[in-house]
Amino acid sequence: MKKIAYFDASVETPEEIILAADMVPVRLFGNPTIGIDKANEHIPPTHCVWARNILEQAINGLGNDIKGMVCTHGCDCTNREFDIWLECVNLDFLFFLNAPLKRNEISLKFFIDDIKELILQLEESFKIKITTEKIQLAIKKMNQIRELLKEISELRVDMKLKGSEFHALVKEIQQSDKDKMIEKLKLKLIEIKERKPFSDENLKKILLTGSVIDDTEFIKFLENVGYQIISDDLCIGSKYFWSKVNENGDPIKALAEYHLNKPIYSTKFPSFERFETLKNLAQTYNVDGVINIAQKFCEPVLYGHPYFNKKFKELGIPYLFVEMEYNRESYKQLATRFEAFSEII
Amino acid sequence: MSEVKKRGKMLNATNKLKNEMGRHFLAIEQAYRDGKPTAWATAGTPVEFLYAMNVQPMLPENSATISAALKKSQDFIELAEEEGFSYDLCSYFKTNVGAVLSNADMSLGGTRKPTFMLSSDVICDTHVNWFQVQAERFNVPHFTIDVPHVVSNTNNRQRDYFKKYIKEQLWELLDFITEVTGNEFNPERAKEVALNSYELGKVWQEVFELRKNIPCPVSTRDTFGGLFPLFTMTGLKSPIKLYKRMYREAKERVDNGIGALEQEDYRLLFEGIPFWYNLRFFSNLERWNAIIVYEPYVYAFTKYTNPNLTKKMVIDNPVESMAELVLSFWYIYDLKTRFEKFKETVRDWKIDGVLLHNNMSCRPNACGMYDLKRKLMEEADIPTLVIDSDMNDPRKMNETQVLNQIESFIEILRKRKKK
Repeated sequence: MKKIAYFDASVETPEEIILAADMVPVRLFGNPTIGIDKANEHIPPTHCVWARNILEQAINGLGNDIKGMVCTHGCDCTNREFDIWLECVNLDFLFFLNAPLKRNEISLKFFIDDIKELILQLEESFKIKITTEKIQLAIKKMNQIRELLKEISELRVDMKLKGSEFHALVKEIQQSDKDKMIEKLKLKLIEIKERKPFSDENLKKILLTGSVIDDTEFIKFLENVGYQIISDDLCIGSKYFWSKVNENGDPIKALAEYHLNKPIYSTKFPSFERFETLKNLAQTYNVDGVINIAQKFCEPVLYGHPYFNKKFKELGIPYLFVEMEYNRESYKQLATRFEAFSEII
Repeated sequence: MSEVKKRGKMLNATNKLKNEMGRHFLAIEQAYRDGKPTAWATAGTPVEFLYAMNVQPMLPENSATISAALKKSQDFIELAEEEGFSYDLCSYFKTNVGAVLSNADMSLGGTRKPTFMLSSDVICDTHVNWFQVQAERFNVPHFTIDVPHVVSNTNNRQRDYFKKYIKEQLWELLDFITEVTGNEFNPERAKEVALNSYELGKVWQEVFELRKNIPCPVSTRDTFGGLFPLFTMTGLKSPIKLYKRMYREAKERVDNGIGALEQEDYRLLFEGIPFWYNLRFFSNLERWNAIIVYEPYVYAFTKYTNPNLTKKMVIDNPVESMAELVLSFWYIYDLKTRFEKFKETVRDWKIDGVLLHNNMSCRPNACGMYDLKRKLMEEADIPTLVIDSDMNDPRKMNETQVLNQIESFIEILRKRKKK
């Protein structure tokens, strides 16, 4: 089956459209174990390391089954990088989706127009027809995934599922055939429910937020320090299955509404509203602390940090902010900070 | 040798710029005294609509450059960093945060609490984040205009609905201003302001046209300083007079074969925001008889660069035209258009080499710069040099290193000229 990659700093790419085109949506992730020499020839080293890492992989080739790429509006770095992809990445189909900055009726209309343009260009490029019925079917499929993930995610709270295992699962779904994943999730849910809870005596319950955190090894590293991620507002996490797409009415409008009604990302406006989501999650799950991770040069998260710091202080919820490099060596270097936070909460 | 032929001669008219800036700051003071609404605005937003609705604009970016010129920006930046803002964030933003935290006077780059804030992501996300931070601090309303990102393969069909989206937001902005200030949109006043804005931009473009001449009559001493009204006073009459005066003086130089430099050997293009804390840096170029004859950053703010947009359209339909203008803004060109525009400019302004400022504070402008350089050199045989620095943070500039780079670059240009 053909695949369409998507480069998305949030998760606002309507995967349903790609599914309705009978292709597999594959989200692109960074790989913190590789060097980024080729991307550094295109982008200055003071720019988002995650975005450069993905460009490096794309220059090296994403694989023969990837037939195109959708880049969805995120931050200045990912947006501007698209033109560089056009210059140096060998793909016939490259589309920039302008997921709007704001959330209101006007932006909704605009987003609908842009999703329609994506459909049109997919149809023109691949000589296919993306019908309303196919989109509706894809929505049903994705909703099933969202529902299953939501249920599974709660098992983190019950200490039956490690945050790292859940993280790896969401990543897998974002890159795999959805039908197969539905079956896998159903079995997984039964299997995890039957597990005995692991001891949480010394574990600190954490709400994790920040930039794109796509290295499962990092979550494992946090677990080794003594944390259990029981909640998050991440794109490889709850933002991927927060609610469901309306299955009635115009499916394109429903998709646009779904993405604009989700809790806001750090890349959108007004991003400070994220605090309300974080506060509710922190209180609902009675977490021991909040950890906010900024990948190096991740401007949207860096701008938000002092505000969150102030607000969590007001609430009396322990909050740790860490700015880090995108490589595994840096985890070790940061161990002391995470250990110290664990001790004070 | 005549008096005029001294090195790096500035236009006499540029000296009058201080009066214009003074006029702007007096207008702000007056607005506070009269209880007139005020607004912070980011570059690239339609300041014209603020004037048209009797709201006094203030542009913190320009204030930040004043702090830098007065060697105050580093202190302000460090204050912002103490508040938790990263070393890697925009130095304009941090200068503004520090200036506000220290309650700095306008003469040092301070900006007072406004009635509301107006931002846009047309240039960068930072503008939106910046005003979000400061609107929260001051507890004032904040309106932002979302401008869709135009990329190298954006088609005309897309441009049409992009424009529609912007237009709808501009009408929404006018409603917002009325709601916050009580001031109604007056179409006649808007036309008048649009005309002034158009004329201001066009006169500035005419000054740039004169710079095509060899020797070039106008240097960065005039353009970087002269830029101020294009941001802050676009829509007013008084800066038009100043620009016309600059034009007349430059024209006289052209007619008499006089250049801004005594000896002009190398004509350069400088892309990006200058180092406001070290404008004297640009005088260093004169030691090699090199002069900057074109700055896309400066030219971009003449705004009216879209040939499809006539004066009549601008005056008759200010809102519609503004939507079009925002989408065709030099500073945010996609890579493909940017390259074509550079080639055209190099040809028309008879440029020998291009300097690209990899500005650590302006990632949207710097992203794509390496590819731009490669294309200019490989596809158009235009010598190009990337300089790493920062517009407002002196800690991020290594002057000796940059000068050494430029010296080697000039040597390359010299060899090419000999061929």
